Parts: sequence; C-alpha cells; structure tokens
Amino acid sequence: MAAITVDLIDRARENVPALLADARRRLPHLAYADLRLEVTESRHAIAENGAERSSGDDYACTAGVRVLAGDRSVAPGWLGIVLGAADVADLEARLREALERAYRRAMANAEHKATAREKFGPLGATLAELKLYTVDVRRDVVPAVYRIDPRSVPLGDMVAAAVDVSRAIAAAEPSVRYNWIPLLTQLTRELFASTEGAVIDQAFALTQGAASVVAVGAETSQELYDVMGHQRGWEVIAGGVDDPLLAFPPFRDFALALAHDAAELAAAPPLPSSEREVVVVTDPHYNTLVSHEIVGHPAELDRALKMETAYAGRSWLLADLDAHQVGQRIASPLVTAYSDPALPGYGHYAYDHEGTPARRVTHIERGIFRGFMNSRQTAAVFGGEPNGHFKATSAALVPLIRMSNTVFDGGDADPARIVGDVDRGYYMVGHRIPSIAESRENFRISARKVYAIERGELTRLYRDGGIAADTRAYLMNVDAVGRDFRLYPIPNCGKGQPMQSKKLGNGGPTMRSRARVLGG
Amino acid sequence: MRDLGELSRAAEQALGWARAQPGVSEVEAFVSANAALLTRLNYTSHIPCNGVEEPKSVESYGIGLQIVLDAPGGRRLGFGSEPNDLSVSGIERAFDKARRAAVADPDFVSLPRPLAAPRTLSDYHDPALMRVSDERLVEAGWTIIGGALRTFLASSRLADLADGEEALRRLGLIISGDVTMIQERMAIASTAMPHVQTDETTLITSFVTSMVEAHAAKGSGWSTGTRLDDFSDEAGGEAARAAIAALGGTRVPSGRYTVVFGRQPVADILNDLVLPACNAETFYASASPFLGRLGRRVASSALSIYDHGAMPGMMGSKGITCEGLPTGRTDLIREGVLTGCLSCWYETERLMRDPQRADKLGGADDAVRAAALVPRNGFRFGAGGGRQFASRPSIAATNVVVEGAEPLDRDELFRRVGNGLYVGRIWYTYPINGLRAGDFTCTVTADSYMIRSATSASTPSPTSRTPVADPRLPAIARACRVQIIRMLAHAGSGQPGRPPRPATW
Repeated sequence: MAAITVDLIDRARENVPALLADARRRLPHLAYADLRLEVTESRHAIAENGAERSSGDDYACTAGVRVLAGDRSVAPGWLGIVLGAADVADLEARLREALERAYRRAMANAEHKATAREKFGPLGATLAELKLYTVDVRRDVVPAVYRIDPRSVPLGDMVAAAVDVSRAIAAAEPSVRYNWIPLLTQLTRELFASTEGAVIDQAFALTQGAASVVAVGAETSQELYDVMGHQRGWEVIAGGVDDPLLAFPPFRDFALALAHDAAELAAAPPLPSSEREVVVVTDPHYNTLVSHEIVGHPAELDRALKMETAYAGRSWLLADLDAHQVGQRIASPLVTAYSDPALPGYGHYAYDHEGTPARRVTHIERGIFRGFMNSRQTAAVFGGEPNGHFKATSAALVPLIRMSNTVFDGGDADPARIVGDVDRGYYMVGHRIPSIAESRENFRISARKVYAIERGELTRLYRDGGIAADTRAYLMNVDAVGRDFRLYPIPNCGKGQPMQSKKLGNGGPTMRSRARVLGG
Repeated sequence: MRDLGELSRAAEQALGWARAQPGVSEVEAFVSANAALLTRLNYTSHIPCNGVEEPKSVESYGIGLQIVLDAPGGRRLGFGSEPNDLSVSGIERAFDKARRAAVADPDFVSLPRPLAAPRTLSDYHDPALMRVSDERLVEAGWTIIGGALRTFLASSRLADLADGEEALRRLGLIISGDVTMIQERMAIASTAMPHVQTDETTLITSFVTSMVEAHAAKGSGWSTGTRLDDFSDEAGGEAARAAIAALGGTRVPSGRYTVVFGRQPVADILNDLVLPACNAETFYASASPFLGRLGRRVASSALSIYDHGAMPGMMGSKGITCEGLPTGRTDLIREGVLTGCLSCWYETERLMRDPQRADKLGGADDAVRAAALVPRNGFRFGAGGGRQFASRPSIAATNVVVEGAEPLDRDELFRRVGNGLYVGRIWYTYPINGLRAGDFTCTVTADSYMIRSATSASTPSPTSRTPVADPRLPAIARACRVQIIRMLAHAGSGQPGRPPRPATW
C-alpha cells in the first residue's frame, strides 16, 4: 500500500462530481453540497542551539463536506475527516459516507431551526432561509509554482541547512543563548467540487524558514521571532526571494540579522512611555501587523455580522445592516487599503474554498471605507458580490472569512524624507506582538526596535516599546505614505473554534501618524 | 470511533514489531482515536442568521512511533505516524517515516521511564458522551439557543426597553459561542514500559456570549463537564441574564484602579503569562521571567498555584500523560515561592543535564531541581481537542488551581476594595513586550463592574456595583510583573479550570 501523494487529486477530480450529483439525486431536500479534498506532501527540519532537533517527511490528506438541506427550513451541516493510505482503495465510499453524515446534520439542524422559528415568536423571525450568493461556476486547474520541487529535497539536506544556520547564529552573536530554527517545504493540492458543477483543482508550493532567538544582556533578555517564506519551492531558503513586492535575503542572512537585532536590543534601554500623542513613523514590517489588525480583521464580514462575537470579536465598521461605515471617511485621504489574492506571497490564490474566483476588494479608498472581505453566505446577507475570501487551513475544517494579502497601498513620499521631516518623534522598526480591542476600535502593537527621532535623525535605540492608539484617529492622522511598499508573510493568524492558524500576507509602506508610545 | 481494545492491540503489536527491527534500541508506540464535535452558535435578532451555524466535527485515529536507532555515528531519534490504519502495514509505514526522520539529537537521553508514583485516576469517562449521535450534537446547540432566547423573552427589562416586536429585535440580541464535545481514547506501550496502558476521556463544554448590542451590554455563560448529563441550557440562560444585567453601563475613564479579577481573567492570565513562565522549555531557553528563581519568592506570600491532572471530575484531568506517566499535582508557586515547573520527560532530562541548569532554573541543588521537574505534563494535545497520534509529546497544563492564603468570598473582597473595578472577562491577553519583560496588555470585554463603597471606607457596608459598558471600553490594562502577581494573590479561592480561550492574532 503506497503512501498518499498529491496525485490522488487526479482520481478524485474524476469521481467526486459524480458523488455529488448522486447525493443531489438521492438525498431529499438537499439544496446544495460541496466537497473539499486536500493532500499535502511536506518535509521539515528543526535545529536548536546548533544541534539537530527533529525532521520528518509525511503526507496529510483531509476532506470536508458542507451540505445545505432541510424540509421546513434550510440549514447547514458540516463534517471533516482525516484520510490515510489505508483509505485510498475506498476513497469514494469514505467521501459518500461523509456526505451522508453532513446531510443528516443539516436535516436535523433545519428541523430545529423551523421549530425555533415558530416557538420563539418575535425572536424567531431572523432565523432566515440560508442562501448563497450566486457566483460563476468554474472548472479550472491551477498549477503550483516552484523551481526546486519540495518533494525532491533530501531530509538530510534540510537538517544540515537548519543546523548550519543555528550554528552560525551561535558563532556570530555570543549573547544569543538560545536559537530555534525550523525549515518547512511542502506541496499542497486542493480539489473543490459542488453540486452546482464547480470542479477546481489548485496546487500550491510553500517554503518557509523561521528563527526564534533569545539574547541575554546584563539586565534582561530579548526573545525575537520572525519568518521568511513564499509560495515557491526549496530555492527560497538558499536564494531568498527577489520579487518587486516581496523580497528576502537568503535564509541564513535573514536569521543572522534577527539574531543581531536581539543582541543589540538586549543591551538597549526600554522605551519610556509618552504622556500624550507624539509623531510616529512606522516601517513596512511594522505596518504589516497594523494592516492585519486594524484594517484586515475588522473588514472580515463574518466578524462584522457578529458571527465571531464570542471569539475573535466584532467590527467597529458595522453596527447593523443599516448603520455602518461604508461610504464614510475613516482615514486620511492619503490612506488606501485593500485585500488582493492576486499579489504574490502567502496570501496568493485563484479561488477560495467555496469556488469563488478571488479578486481584489478595496477596504479604504483615499480615506473612505468601501467594503468587506466576504463569503457567498455573508454576501447574500449584506449585499455586494462575493470576492473570494472564504478559506480554511485544512479541508477538514470549515472555511472562515480570512485575509488574502491585506495591505496599505504605497504612496509617493520618499521614506527618508518621512523620517527627515520629523523634529521629535519615534521610528517603529519591525512588528512584534499585538493586543487589539474587541471591535478593533483601538490597539496596541509593540515594535521590534524603536528609535528616537531628533531633528530628522535617528538617535537612540530602545527595546520593549510600541504604540497605542484609537484606530480611527490613528488612520485620520496619517500625513505621509512612502513609496517603499513591501509584502510580508504572516504565518499564524488565528481565528475560529477550534482555532485555525492560517498563513496569509500583509504589508504596506513607511507611514507617519500620531500615537502614544508605550514602553515596557 | 475505534474502541480501546483495538487501540491496545495495535500498541502491543507495534511495540513488538518495531523493537524486533535491526538497530532499534528503544520504541514507544502511541495509538489514539479522537473526535472533536462542535456546534457553533450564531443568533442575531437584527441580522438574518442560522441560530446553529455549524454542527461540525473532525475525527481521526492512528498510530505514532518514536524510535531510537543505534547507528555508527551515535544514537538517532525519530518519529513517524500513520492515520487510519492499525494493522501491521500501518505500523510499517509509521516506522519507515520514523527511521527516515531520525536525527542525532545530543540532548536526547532516553524515552520515558516509569515514575515511582502510581496512577490514581481510572475509568472516569462517560460512555454516553463517547457515543453522541449527529442528531444529539445538533440538538445540543439548539438547547443553548433556546435557553438564551427564553431568557430574553421573559425579561421585563428588555420589554421595558422595546415597545413591540420590531423594537425588541432592534435591540440587537446576540447569542454566540459553541457547544464542544471531546472524545479521546489512547493506548501506549514502550520498551521501558511494555505493559499497554490506556486512557479514555470525555468532556463537554459550552461557552456563550450574549449581547443587547444596541445598549452595548454583553455577558458570558459557561458550562464544563465530563458527562453528558452535566449538559443543560444553563449556559445560554446565564449569558442572556448577564447581558441584561449589563444594561445601563457606564464607560470607565482612563486611570489607575484597584482591580478584582473574576475567574475568566485569572484563567486568561494564567494561560498566557504565568503558565508559559513556569514551563521547563521556557527556562531552558532563558526566556522565563522567573529565570533562576526556583526556591525564591516570585509572588505575594498569599498566592499558591498548582497544576493537578488527576482531580476527579475536572475537565483537564487524565489518568496518564501521553508519555504513559501518571498525572498528579505539581506545585508551581507555593505561598509566593517558585517550587515547580510544568515538564515532560524530554525537557526534564535535558534541563537536568544542562551545564547552566543552576543559572537557568535556580534551586539549591540537583535534588531540589529534580523535585521541581517531575514530568507530569507531557501531552499530545492539538487540533482543537484530542490526544494526537501524529504529534510528539510537549508540555501542557491540565487543571490549574489558584489558592489564596486567606480565601475570601467575592462580596468580602469587594468590601475590602471599597472603590475599584471588577473585571469579569478579558481578551487578547499577551505579554506585549515578550514574556521576560513581564508586562501585558488586554482588553476588558464583558461581565465587568465598577465597585463603589456605599459609605466611607472606614465603615464596613455593602458595596454597589454599576455595570461597565463593554463594546467601546478603551480599557487597555497594563501592569508590571509584580503587579500581576499581586492581583492574582487577591483573586480569591476560585478554581479557574481551562475554559475555551478565544484568541486571535
């Protein structure tokens, strides 16, 4: 019995449409069903403090089914399963069984929903018929892009590469007492098929190098973590990434730079807090997290429609269907922000996980809020066409509305002038850790490094500091946007219950605004 | 779901097969079957919705093998797993992956060896919860929705606010959250512990948030249990009552307050700050704020914290760890003194041989350090619940209990505070400048009140409580490490358990 490979999708692409057609014919009151099947072939290696720690090459095969069904009402039912090599011979039977169980859940759910609608009088009225906004039904194949096939990389080479970087850090920075270096390369192939006739076969390569370092100084230690990567093959680790919007040096240099920062910061003083707002200049890496937290998350329509109230929170951009910020000014005219799956990097894809062709959605256009990332269901509730942002981290898990590449657009200012024009202020270099209010109406984000700006020059370096601000006021106060736009990977965006940790892209240029700075 | 007999036979067979392979000196076979069943709730009176949004589940079973190979260049440690196949062919595939993946880890000492302490918790799962049907899963979600909607409909306060059905809907009544059921079975056998050990666990939780959104009033309801009989509509009703009680809230001006934390904030602070700081791996990496402080004061003498994985009826309890070792009590902080760490076998062995162990951990000698590092917390949790055969063990807490030297009930605590804030729920609690810096930021999101003394502080009297308006509360709390511990010391004698944690990035 051979291990599962991505080639399993070839067989599924032939057989799954018939399974769905059969379900539609056979199962009464089935309104819609879709099935996702995903195979990943991955390899990893980890070094720690210059020594081998672990490695592995394996496959993961998962499937997920959504069924909308019901007699007196229509409601959803979902099921996720993990598949192994032993299931390959009976793959179609396993998928059929999954469809039937999801159908049973949907039918039971619809019956309860109809009963609740009758039973709870005025409060039952919003238990509405579930609709999906109509989208183009596509049949398509999207190949992965890579030069060195992730499946071809010898594990020994990966272990050696991780150990080399780990030892180089220890040799270069004596104050770095701990380092952890994981490398990952993988090829994923996803099938999406629906009872509407969609059949989409997408493949993605992904290669990532990460570094976690702890530098110990006289008074404290500094723990830093950062990730480089791209939806490409193993070539990314040795050669880096050289895309106009997404650029990294070779991984060894990337990790050594992080270690150098940690060593430098362990000897730096903590940032003193300001009593009031001051001028702050934020670099593209820092704005990657700002765009993520205060533009991306509140522009997710499931969150805005209260579907995440118990978990990730709501959005200050929407009170209800008639009271929202669409068309309202929420930022300076210099600020434009959007989510674009066509950009390269971790947030790139052609179709989301309900088969919707992915397209750019503008969130802020020269300061005016324009709209949300959505799914077919939320688009049917709020209006507007689906834009392809319904994504899951595994086929076994339900899709959620997720960012693709959510960014601040670049401007035309010279980044050096943005700093040079500041008499007194602070320059935030690199993002570190966020803490955001429930509806994203205010935030605090720490920076990797903070420099004082005095008379247009960067002077003292500080550790353990960042900014805190009211979101709208911060965006309204933006008075300079640089032309140095950059994209970065975010490897671990958490959302959902159970938590899904998603890889996606964020970015922006150098920007200037006003905020309180807070030290540690 | 695969039964325990199948898992046990597979573990025994895997151990026998793998230890007979050439060059193999040690083997650990871990076999598990898990199901995480969840109904996500989303009711909104002002926006079309499904009520029960997602009845869903993820199920898996399989085998994981850790092997130690004697090779010419030294010992090599490897891990491999295979899903959905407990036969010899599945064992062979897991073994091949482990052999290919094996590395020369110089910190590896051995696979786990038996501990002196015996297992104390057995046969504690609920067979009824282990066999929940698809229909019962859906029904559980609607039970909570029903509990909350009945509470809203019966509320005279809401009726006073809304004159008519449409106005009632316009109040923006929200019910959000989930019912989660976890079913776990595992079997383990190893060269050092060849007798197959098994464990079965069930738990059911409900975590509900309700709002009267037009009035910025939010409340929470919770239930946790290990038996299906423990489940009712109460968490829905509790959340709705808490939201109604929060009507009329006021915004809190920025400032410094004496703060009383409720159970959820205590649990959140434990999860995100204190427990990571007490993790053996964090000490090894020199990243703990308690670096070198074993046996020394790290908190108020009023404070004690311990982890206890063998407490009957608690939702974090297990009979054995995922390393086949007995669970039990680990005192982390006793009367303000750092006394122990959460650890697994690998981390304990590594840290005890680290030349810098005295600097990293502290402690008078190796006997003290060894007593602090008993490996009672090696688990393979993941994927939202379950003991994952595809993962190697890592460190996880079980049931964490906070005790004060002088247990107080809540009213007495409020009376002593006089004027201050009661914080019932926080969110996004992160060590904003790294764990070592010791400060944190979070947002107060619900169930919170101003505490005001009815008379002068010198005259003991009942206190009044005014709800805090939630949604736009700009309360970003900050505190230094010492202050965190002081707050914990005054948290009363509650047992926060391990509620599902809403987290994001």
